[in-house]
This record gives sequence, structure tokens and C-alpha cells, in this order.
Amino acid sequence: MNEKRGPTETVYQSFRKRGLSRRDFLRFCTIMSATLALPSSFVPRIAEALEKKEKPVLLWLEYQDCAGNTEALLRASSPTVKEIVLDVLALEYHETVMAAAGHQAEKALQDAVEKYRGRYLVVVEGSIPLKDDGVYCCIGGRSAKDILKEVAEGAAAILAVGTCAAYGGIPAASPNPTGAVGVSTLIKDKPVVNLPGCPVNVENITATLVHFLTFGTLPALDSHGRPLFAYGKRIHDNCERRAHFDAGQFVRQWGDEGHRLGWCLYEMGCKGPETFKNCPRIKYNEGTSWPVGAGHGCIGCAEPNFWDKMSPFYKRLPRVPGFGVESTADKIGAGLAVATGAAILAHGVGRLVTGGKTKREE
Amino acid sequence: MAKKIAIDPITRIEGHLRIEAQVDGGRVVDAWAASTMFRGIEIILKGRDPRDAWAFAQRI
Repeated sequence: MNEKRGPTETVYQSFRKRGLSRRDFLRFCTIMSATLALPSSFVPRIAEALEKKEKPVLLWLEYQDCAGNTEALLRASSPTVKEIVLDVLALEYHETVMAAAGHQAEKALQDAVEKYRGRYLVVVEGSIPLKDDGVYCCIGGRSAKDILKEVAEGAAAILAVGTCAAYGGIPAASPNPTGAVGVSTLIKDKPVVNLPGCPVNVENITATLVHFLTFGTLPALDSHGRPLFAYGKRIHDNCERRAHFDAGQFVRQWGDEGHRLGWCLYEMGCKGPETFKNCPRIKYNEGTSWPVGAGHGCIGCAEPNFWDKMSPFYKRLPRVPGFGVESTADKIGAGLAVATGAAILAHGVGRLVTGGKTKREE
Repeated sequence: MAKKIAIDPITRIEGHLRIEAQVDGGRVVDAWAASTMFRGIEIILKGRDPRDAWAFAQRI
């Protein structure tokens, strides 16, 4: 896309060209090491890889999407971080940011597929509709299904960013009018990394790419195809409001005293106990905030089919067959459901005795 | 002589768009715009808890 930032240069060279110092570069390597949950002893290894290896060519394909993941990528508020991200990614095709349009854009995609066959990485944003032969998403007169199959064939690996690309997301929510699916339903013969989230935290995309550059492999994945470094821990277990949960201090109504004091949002429908992601640690918009930090419960956006399984979003722990907090707690073996029940009961009794001012919603 | 041209995809926008234009003597005399992606958010919203509507509609 940009001649000056061709894929033949290394990440470090791009850094220096943009006037960033070696210190900036090493700081970036440290952030990546931390995001990948690696000890700091890996920083030199990451730095060495980014100094020596060519940037991976990336083709960013958008299908049934809202461009929210693209926004997450581009809306980095500090210019340095935005440049770093764009430097790590050698974007050869991205509809939302590329200069070419129409047949020139499609030619750019075809050219990149030919030129970098077997080496390029594909990022997919948005789900792929399969109903009625894929007519519900067409680009340049061709269906998303056909384009993705063709581009995926020459890919080294595929990153499905956002919940739509990973699991079908909102278009696949009941009744799934267009037969939308995630990438791994359609592409079976290529490694696919799912980076769900609505939107994804951009650090997780960058860290996955840095892992690929440093170790030559994709990161270890969980049973839903998500990197363990980012999706290995429950939001509830790392939540900044966890102490209030343990203390039985719950928000009961929006704007009540507990809400103003930053108490636990569990009773307002927070899905943190059922959701696995590193949001509490890396947050959004360069660590500015995240939903729970801003006073709203987690809606479980990193989990497959969350639009159906986690909704109604304001209902406390909806009973989901096979995916309730109880079963998760049992699997983890913490007996959390019992503890939760006891905590709420004890809290309820306490409120009865003291004549609580606010009513429980349910 | 009138000629029909098509630009698909239109880039640097959010969403998927196709523009067709009828060009006659270097002037556009008629044009058609088409959104080439459909998800059915309205259909998906039916029957849900109204308090959740913002989260769905926000993703359009």
C-alpha cells in the first residue's frame, strides 16, 4: 500500500524511519512480552526477531462487519502507538484505509496473493454469510465466501479478529438471517487464530503477530481457538472490582451508592464470571478504561454466540445450557457458585436486618 | 455514447458500497448506489429484551 513501508524491511527499520528511538522500540518489545505473558527475559529475543525478520505481509479482509475492529486498530490515541501498530503490520490490502477503489483495489488483492503466496497472513473482520450461496456479502461482484476461500489458499495463517470473524458474532445471532459463520467453519485446512472481542483489543492482534515473528509459530490456543496468553484467564478472577464481590458489596441499581463507590456489577448482569479475556489487564484505548472500569457489566463479548448465550445482558447469570457460571465454576473446581450463593444470601439477610434503602431488581 | 461504469468496492468508508454510474460525454447522467452487505439486524432484534437493543444497534 505504501511504497516506503514495503514488506522487505524489518519492524525495527520501520521504527527508525519514523524517527522513533531505540528506547521506544525496546519499550514496545517489553509491552509485547508482557501482553504475551512472557517473562522479561524474552524481551531481547523479541527485539532480535523484530530487528532481523521481514515484516509479515498482511491482507485485511472485511465481510459482515461494522469496522469496529478496524476502528480499534486505527483509533490509538497516541501517534506513536498507532505508528508502531501500522509498522508491525505491513498492510497490503485493507478496504477501509487503502487508497485504491473498485477494480484497482481488487487487483491489489490479487497481486498480493500472487506475489506473497504461501507467506502472507490474512486478517478477517466480520462473518461470512453462507445462505443463498453467499449473496448477502459481495465485493467487486464476488461473494465473501468465494474470495475468502481463494485468498486463504495461499495464506500462511489466518487471524479471525472480532467475534463476528471468529464465531459468526452479531450476524449469526438468532435467527441468523443470512447463515453467517466464522472463518474456521469455512476454512478447515489452514491454521486459524480466533481473536474474539467486540471489538478486539488491538494489543492482542499485535502480540499474536509478534509471537509469530519471534518464534515462527502461532501462540498456543484454547478449545475455542483463542490464544491462551489473552484468553486464558477469567475476567472475574482479574477484575478490579473483585474484592467487592468477595465482600458481598453489589451494585443493586444504576446510580445507587454502591455504583458510585465502584462495587461489583454481578447483580446488574455482569458476565465477567463466564468470560475469558485479558480486558482487566490491558483494557481498551491504550489502557484507558474498559466496560467494568467505566461502571457497566461485562457482556461476555469474547465468548462464542454471546449475543444469544449472554443476553439479556442485564439479567443476572442467565441459565445457559452447558455454559452457566455454575458449570464453569465446577470445571475450575473453585465451588464458586456455592460461594456466590452464600455471599448473596448473607448480603440479602444483612440488608433485611439493616432495612436496605434500595430494592433488588429481581 | 452513454457508458455505464461500476466502482465496487468503494474504499475508505465503513461498510460495503457499490456505485454504478451512467456516463454520457464525460458527464454522469444517472447513478445508482447499492449496499452489498446485509446482516438483518432488525430481524435479529425482534423479540429481545429492549434494554439490550443499544448493544445490537450500536454494531451497525
